Amino acid sequence: MGFGDLKTPAGLQVLNDYLADKSYIEGYVPSQADVAVFEAISGPPPADLCHALRWYNHIKSYEKEKASLPGVKKSLGKYGPVSVADTTGSGAADAKDDDDIDLFGSDDEEESEDAKRLREERLAQYESKKAKKPAVVAKSSILLDVKPWDDETDMTKLEECVRSIQADGLVWGSSKLVPVGYGIKKLQIQCVVEDDKVGTDMLEEQITAFEDYVQSMDVAAFNKI
Amino acid sequence: MAAAAELRLLEKSLGLKPGNKYSAQGERQVPVLQTNNGPSLMGLSTIATHLVKEANKEHLLGSTAEEKALVQQWLEFRITRVDGHSSKEDTQTLLKDLNSYLEDKVYLAGHNTTLADILLYYGLHRFIVDLTVQEKEKYLNVSRWFCHIQHYPDIRQHLSSVVFIKNRLYANSH
Repeated sequence: MGFGDLKTPAGLQVLNDYLADKSYIEGYVPSQADVAVFEAISGPPPADLCHALRWYNHIKSYEKEKASLPGVKKSLGKYGPVSVADTTGSGAADAKDDDDIDLFGSDDEEESEDAKRLREERLAQYESKKAKKPAVVAKSSILLDVKPWDDETDMTKLEECVRSIQADGLVWGSSKLVPVGYGIKKLQIQCVVEDDKVGTDMLEEQITAFEDYVQSMDVAAFNKI
Repeated sequence: MAAAAELRLLEKSLGLKPGNKYSAQGERQVPVLQTNNGPSLMGLSTIATHLVKEANKEHLLGSTAEEKALVQQWLEFRITRVDGHSSKEDTQTLLKDLNSYLEDKVYLAGHNTTLADILLYYGLHRFIVDLTVQEKEKYLNVSRWFCHIQHYPDIRQHLSSVVFIKNRLYANSH
């Protein structure tokens, strides 16, 4: 997980894509997840990354309340899309050169021993409770239409090519040939995917890469399981 | 949905006890609230504002002067543009305009939920519920905002939850 290095344009792009359909990093209220990611950014994102900029301006308005936002702050690598590699560790050297204003920075305050012990105790409780809860895997059932070039294309070979695509979180199901017209048939094939691991973009790229057999591919049906 | 039913939803979300009597008046079925004392109130935004103040939740009307003005503008928008049309083209225009507006905002007015978000959610629900997957992705900012608001259970109550698919199906359209 992670956004990559959020001080680089590539990292900000990942953040922008992640926030395209979300208001916050986690859940539906601002939380410590947003604070952690906000602190990792060196300044406002550029205007063309409109989703990241919208989020940044919104979280900035919570500057005074950052300590009281709900949730537990985790390391940066624990937030964001699963498919992006965590590079926060390797960014440590660059962090030394960073002298941007830290909007959420505050003077260190001496913490009493009791308060410290109590906080760590609660953190441990929360962490163990969190670990017990199994993660719910979001899955979808997708029906794909794969179209050949003409009526002479070997449909058996085409299906073999499609089924040869293997990925973690992808399971192929039943298939059939559906007449389209003029003797041409298309392959209709079912598959079950884990949403966080496999997307229709990836499937389309890999299926249409078989240029000898596949003319185009469509998503005929997409159902959440 | 009927204005009276919506105002009862609003009452519930504000934590007010039910018991107000609503009627509708005129050709456009303008809602009327008969109060216990004084004259009756007419119009959706008038009654809604009154209910918010009665519930002591004036932060829903905006925190600053600009936010207050924006909330009033969106209530007006709700009555004139959301309720005041019927054709498919009007719906598309409406969603397109709203999508542009929400590109750089989490909420309609300011940085918190306001009455504008609540009433726009109620008003748009019948349109959003009928959108295709492609249309939901075309109006990505509206979808993000709507999905966000519908996760407040005291706002949504019995209205159906609209499904927004996580994976992008039409990647080139945005």
